[in-house]
Amino acid sequence: MSQASTTNPAADAARRAEIDRSLRHPVMFFFTSGAAWLAVAILLGIISSAKVHSPGFLDGVSWLTYGRVQPAHMSALIYGWGCQAAFGMLVWLMARLSRQECRAAGLILTAGHVWNLAVSIGLFGILAGKGTGIPWMEFPSFAWVPMLVSYAAIAIWSMIQFKVRPEGHVFISQWYNLAALIWFPWVFVTAHFLIHGFSGSPLMAAAVNAWYRSALVFLFFIPTALAAAYYLIPKVTGRPVYSYTLSLLGFWSLAVIAPWAGMQKLAGAPIPAFLPYLGAAATILIAIPAIAVSVNLLKTAASAWDTVVNSPSLRFTVAGVIGLLVLGFAATFLNVPAILPLSQFSLSGYGFDILALYGVFSFIAFGMIYFVVPRITRREWLSSRLIKIHFFLSVYGLLTVALVAVFGGIMQGQAQEDYKQPWENAMEYAYPYAVASTLSWCFLLLSNVFFFLHLALMWLRLGRRSSHPTLLGHAHHDDLHDATHGPEGDIDNAGPGSAPAHSH
Amino acid sequence: MIDPSKPDLEESVNVTEAHDRVVRGAAAAARENKIKENGAEPVSLTVMVLCAIPLLSAGWALGNAGTLFSYKDTVKDGYVRVIPADDEAGGPPPKDALAAYMAKGAKLYSKCSGCHGPDGKGDGNAYPSLAGSAWVTGETERLAMVILNGLSGPASTGKTYGVMPAQGAGMKGEDLGALMTYIRNSFGNKTGDVVTKQMGAAGLEISNARPKVGTAVTGEELAADHTKNLPGDALDPKTMLDPITLEPAEAK
Repeated sequence: MSQASTTNPAADAARRAEIDRSLRHPVMFFFTSGAAWLAVAILLGIISSAKVHSPGFLDGVSWLTYGRVQPAHMSALIYGWGCQAAFGMLVWLMARLSRQECRAAGLILTAGHVWNLAVSIGLFGILAGKGTGIPWMEFPSFAWVPMLVSYAAIAIWSMIQFKVRPEGHVFISQWYNLAALIWFPWVFVTAHFLIHGFSGSPLMAAAVNAWYRSALVFLFFIPTALAAAYYLIPKVTGRPVYSYTLSLLGFWSLAVIAPWAGMQKLAGAPIPAFLPYLGAAATILIAIPAIAVSVNLLKTAASAWDTVVNSPSLRFTVAGVIGLLVLGFAATFLNVPAILPLSQFSLSGYGFDILALYGVFSFIAFGMIYFVVPRITRREWLSSRLIKIHFFLSVYGLLTVALVAVFGGIMQGQAQEDYKQPWENAMEYAYPYAVASTLSWCFLLLSNVFFFLHLALMWLRLGRRSSHPTLLGHAHHDDLHDATHGPEGDIDNAGPGSAPAHSH
Repeated sequence: MIDPSKPDLEESVNVTEAHDRVVRGAAAAARENKIKENGAEPVSLTVMVLCAIPLLSAGWALGNAGTLFSYKDTVKDGYVRVIPADDEAGGPPPKDALAAYMAKGAKLYSKCSGCHGPDGKGDGNAYPSLAGSAWVTGETERLAMVILNGLSGPASTGKTYGVMPAQGAGMKGEDLGALMTYIRNSFGNKTGDVVTKQMGAAGLEISNARPKVGTAVTGEELAADHTKNLPGDALDPKTMLDPITLEPAEAK
C-alpha cells in the first residue's frame, strides 16, 4: 500500500494534507455548527440557572419555563455541541491515524445536516412543550431514529478506515476512537429502544435512563476526549506517551467499569436493591481510569511544559486532562455511601455532568479544534488574544459552575436532610450557589461567543495566511521565532526563505 | 499516490515540488511531529496508592448492596430514614381538632370536587350543591349513609338529580369523619363541630349492617332509619390533636 508511512517527510506531509483536505467540509461543519449550538446551550443554561434563584425571571414566557428551558439547555449541550464536536474529532482522527482519505465526505456532510435538523426539531419540540420528560432523552420520541441513521452514515466510514489501515501499530487514540464509535450506538439504541420501544415498567425505564446518562458520558464523551488527548499531547510535544502499562490500565479499566455505572441516581427507589449500590461502586471506580489516564498524559505533557503553555491545543487539552483527574475524585467523593444521600437530589448531579461534559470533554474538544482547523482550512488562527480570552473565561466559568454545583449541592443536600426545618431552608442554602452558577454561565457564554466568532472567521477562510502557528506566548518573545516559522505576524508569506513582510 | 499509468514508478512524489507545495499550502500539516513509540515507565507506587482510595470506597459501597444480583429485594432497609418516635421535634406541631380534621378532609374532598365542584356548589343540574344542604349540615348518620352508599331518588331539596355512586370503598373511620367535618364546615356551611374518627367508624358499621347493603340509599330509607346523629362522644373542636394520628397531643 502506498499509504503506508514512508520515510519521506515531504511525502508524509503531503499525505496528511490530502487527508485533511478530504475531510475539510464535514469536519468544519461539525465544529462550526457545534460551536453555534454551544452558544445556544449556554444561553439556555443562563436562563434556566437564573430561574433557580429568581423564579420570576421571564415567568410570562410559557416556552421558557424551567421545565422546558432546562432540558433544552442540556439537549443542546449534549446533542448540538457535544455529539457534533465528537463526530468531527472522531472522523478526522480516525482518518489521520489510519492514513486514509475520506471517500464519503459528501455523505457525512449530508448526515451532519440531518443530525442538525433532528436536533433543531427536537429542541423546538421541547420548547413547545412536547418534550418526553425523560432527562437527556427529552426530544420528542421520533427524533432518535433520524439521529441514529445519520450517526451510522457518519461513523461507518471511520470503522472502514480502521479496517483497511496500514498494517502494524494501532495507536492508543485508535483504541478509544473505535471504542467510542462502537459504544455510542450501543448505549443510544439500548436506552431509546428500551424506553421508547417497549412499554415496560416505568420504574425500570427510569433506571435505564439513569444508566444512559452515565453511559453516554463515560462510554462516549470521555473516550472521545481521551482519543483526542492521547493524540494531541504526544503529537504536539513530540514526546512518547509516558507509560504503555498505564495506557492499557486506563483503557481496559474504563471499558470494564463504565458500563456498570449510573443507577446510583435511583438509590432508595424500589428497583432491585443491589443495582444502585453496584452503580455507585462502579462510578467510584471510574476514578481508576481517570487517575491512570491523567497521570500518564500529564507526565507526558510535563516533559515539554513550554510547549503546553504556548500551544493553544495543548493548553486546552491539558486543562481537560486535569479536569479528568478532578472528575475522578468527584466520582469517588459524591458516591460513597456517606455522601450519596446528600448528592442524590441536589445540584451535585448537575455539577458532575457539567464537569464531565465541559470540564473534560469540551476542553479537549477545544484543544482538538484549535489543532485541526488550521490544517483543514490551511489558515492559521487569527488572534492569540481571542484564544486566551476563550481559555481563561472557560477555566474560570467552569471552575465556578462545577465546584459550586458539587459543593453547593452537598450543602443543599445536608439542609434537605434536616427534616426539622422547613423545605425552604434547603432552598435558601442553595441560593448563593445558584446565583454564582448563573454568573459563571455568563462567563462561559462570553468565552464561547469569542470562540464561535473566531471559528466562524476561520470557516470563512479568513484566517491568517502564514506558515507560523498562532501561539500563546508573549507576542514578541524571541524564542518563538525560529528558523522554520519566521517572525510572528509574518502575514501571507510563502514559507521559509521568502522575503519577510516586515523587518522585525 | 500511485499513478495507475506508471505502476512501476517507485517514487511517486517529486520531493522538492511536494515540499514547496506542502509548506506553502499546508504549513500546519508540514510542521507536525511524528508520534513516537510508547514509553515503558512502570506504574509508580503513588498511582497505586491513589487507586487504592477508589477501590476501598467502592468496596464500602458494594458492602451496602446486600445480596448481589438478587432481583427480589427491592427495598433497602435504612436508606429512607425513619424519624424516631421519641424525637422531641419529631412530627409536625399539634393543631386544634377542627383544623386537623379539616386539613385531612380537604385532601379527601379532591375526590368529590369532580362532581360537586371545588366550591361545593355542584352544577344545579346533575350534581346538587353541598353548600347550605340540609342533609349535609343536619344529622350526621344520614350524611354518612349518603357518602358511603351513594344516593338515588330525590335529594334534600326534593329535586331528583342523577344517581350518586357509593364512595365508601376503602374508607376508614377517620377518613369519613374528616371528610364530613370538612364539608360541614366549608362552602359557607358552619356547624362548628367535629365528626370524630370514632363516629366515622360507627358510621361504617351502621352502613354495613343495612338491610339493603350494597345499594344506594333513598330518601325514604334515610327518613325511616337514619335521621339521627352518629353515636360517639363529641370532641371539643379546640382540643389539640396530632395532625397525623388525630390523637390528642399533650400541650407543650
